[in-house]
Amino acid sequence: MTSAVSVRGLWKRFGQQVAVAGIDLELPAGKFIGLVGPNGAGKTTTLSMVTGLLRPDQGSVEIVGQDVWRDPVNVKARIGVLPEGLRLFERLSGRELLAYSGRLRGLPGAEVDRRAAQLLDVLDLAGAQHKLVVDYSTGMRKKIGLAAALLHNPEVLFLDEPFEGVDPVSAQTIRGVLERYTASGATVVFSSHVMELVESLCDWVAVMAAGRIRAHGPLDEVRGGAPSLQRAFLELVGAQGQNTGANLDWLGGGAR
Amino acid sequence: MTGDITPVVVRLKLSLLRNGLRQSGGRRAAYIASAVAVLLFSVLQLLGLIALRGNEHAASVVVPLVAVLAAGWAVMPLFFPGGDETLDPTRLVMLPLRPRPLVRALLVASLVGIGPVFTLCMLVGSVVSVAHGASAYVVSVIGVALALLVCVALARAVAVANIRLLTSRKGRDLAVLSGLVIAVGAQVVNFGAQRLGSGGLGQLDGPAEVLKWIPPASAIGAVDSASEGSYGIAVLQLALSAAALIGLLALWSRHLTRLMTSPDGSTLPSSQGAARERSSTGLARLLPAGRTGTVMERSLRYVWRDPKTKAAWVTSLAIGLIVPVFNAVQGTGSIYFACFAAGMLGVQMYNQFGQDTSAFWMVAMTISSTRDAYVELRGRALALLVITLPYATLVTVVTTALIDDWPKLPEVLGVSFALLGAMLATGAWTSARFPYSIPQEGYKNVAPGQSGLAAAAVVGGMVSAALLCAPVIALTIWANVSADGDEWSWVLLPIGAVYGTAITLAGLRLAAPRTARQLPEILVAVSKG
Repeated sequence: MTSAVSVRGLWKRFGQQVAVAGIDLELPAGKFIGLVGPNGAGKTTTLSMVTGLLRPDQGSVEIVGQDVWRDPVNVKARIGVLPEGLRLFERLSGRELLAYSGRLRGLPGAEVDRRAAQLLDVLDLAGAQHKLVVDYSTGMRKKIGLAAALLHNPEVLFLDEPFEGVDPVSAQTIRGVLERYTASGATVVFSSHVMELVESLCDWVAVMAAGRIRAHGPLDEVRGGAPSLQRAFLELVGAQGQNTGANLDWLGGGAR
Repeated sequence: MTGDITPVVVRLKLSLLRNGLRQSGGRRAAYIASAVAVLLFSVLQLLGLIALRGNEHAASVVVPLVAVLAAGWAVMPLFFPGGDETLDPTRLVMLPLRPRPLVRALLVASLVGIGPVFTLCMLVGSVVSVAHGASAYVVSVIGVALALLVCVALARAVAVANIRLLTSRKGRDLAVLSGLVIAVGAQVVNFGAQRLGSGGLGQLDGPAEVLKWIPPASAIGAVDSASEGSYGIAVLQLALSAAALIGLLALWSRHLTRLMTSPDGSTLPSSQGAARERSSTGLARLLPAGRTGTVMERSLRYVWRDPKTKAAWVTSLAIGLIVPVFNAVQGTGSIYFACFAAGMLGVQMYNQFGQDTSAFWMVAMTISSTRDAYVELRGRALALLVITLPYATLVTVVTTALIDDWPKLPEVLGVSFALLGAMLATGAWTSARFPYSIPQEGYKNVAPGQSGLAAAAVVGGMVSAALLCAPVIALTIWANVSADGDEWSWVLLPIGAVYGTAITLAGLRLAAPRTARQLPEILVAVSKG
């Protein structure tokens, strides 16, 4: 099995806080991969380090066999990124943003415009293409960010919380585009804390908690005997058995 | 509905004031300090205006003064929309209120605060300085009340008329520009005051003749007219102010009704903005192909579209023009002040990546070699030059024309170009070495904790830029002091231009490897906003 992403001994500290505590991961190529974990598990930090946006304290990252930090020329052209919590150039219109981002990557202008038009169409943004991104809704921002990440046809796509705050219609559109993209042999790595979504989309998952990988492998393997990924996940991160019955006994219908 | 809501709204305003103070000690201290300062200032104004009593130009001073005061009231709600929460009637929209009592209540509530007290002091001082005789005193009382109410109603009417604007993104963009209006306005006022100082108060007679017919200044003009015995004119002037008050109240009431019965501006789609096609081809066709043109196009778009960038640019352009030209007009300036324009505009090269905010990641993802970083920085410098080069040249030519010292034009241009080059070079280098965040909301230009870094980068960079220019400046001095130097001073133009270009390229070459190496560190530094 060839690896799309290979991570070894990755560490990151922010002051006293250890965000990522020694991660080793082999992500197979051509799969739809979900990185799941509760808030604060280190998913965003990990994805930032993997994509070259954040320098790790220790460890190495290889994408399609090239070292991210030693050989950025070969890596940056082959990956697409949709980060979480970072802005876009919001004072450009959606169309201008794509034109800018594609040309910055060195694609020919005519080709950029052709691809941008198709992406805007498929992602249902054609009507808003001349509006400034600053006036876009959350879902529209995620979609234009996805379009910018796909524009140069990367081999591996990294998406940080692509469905967070996205309405069901936009989510379905994003899903459709991603499924088509992986079907052609490309790799998608995305982070989420919505288990149902990961379960229905991914064929390979890595579970993260407190800066470490708790389990990884094909979906069925990670799920094991549990009825759903949600249950398996709760067992893995040790959040089982928190009793909510004893308190809040006044809450609900009946006597006021 | 039972009872009058006026006391309720006034009490609401008082509670809001009090609770605002309760939030933090610093805020309370700031409020008390500003209140004391305003009161002191009001008292001084009052004394100054009373001292003006009997001066033949007294009316010419107080009438424009009241006009300026009213203008202040009109623009205030545009710039400080959050300043007075009772100004925002959308907060009261859920309450079952009729417009007429609401207008009355809000008007009375508006009279509570530092601003109205200050205005009242100014108005009282104004009438004291011009009122002579019993009838004039009677007119004074009416005039002061009318003028104060017109000021307050004006502010309210403007605020309500613009509430759509103030709750939309465009309105918030506008608010960022307000600091700039104040900065440039201060320069203009400063120069105006200097002219007044040299020309005497008589210069105000002309404007005062017109302004005394315009409400609310006409209410104060009425006092002066009554003092002179022209009772007919006085009544007419008072009537004008009263009519203005009624008109403003009617306008306010109508807007209020419409506002409270239609959806909030922030929830409506901005159909106007969406419909406007943004042509991308016009600008792009003139720019070079590849990364250079792409970077230039984005930078130039941001000069116009990003409020922070726009404010910085307009400030630089305005001050770069005002300092040399006004000094030249007054005859106090040196022709070398023209280099100020180049210096001011060169500052825009500083903290290039901070201007991107965390969107810098999009740039970082596409820089994988020193060459990429070099082209990126060069594109940004070129975008800057597209505006700066013609502008600095224009300012230099205008200054030279005003001083009428054409033989010096080439050397001043030469020094300007050298300085511009040095600013671009140091700007590029400090952008890579000392990046810092520019918060997008509010008036701050530096994120908390980075102000030392920002100051060090800009001040250090400017000093280094001046030092880098030293060879060209030395040559200029030599040309001026040596016997046959004047004949050779034209050579300074090509020398300055070549030196500026060379030093810019050298600065970009130095900055590029650092940028390429430090991409993640720069991204962290600029993402704090």
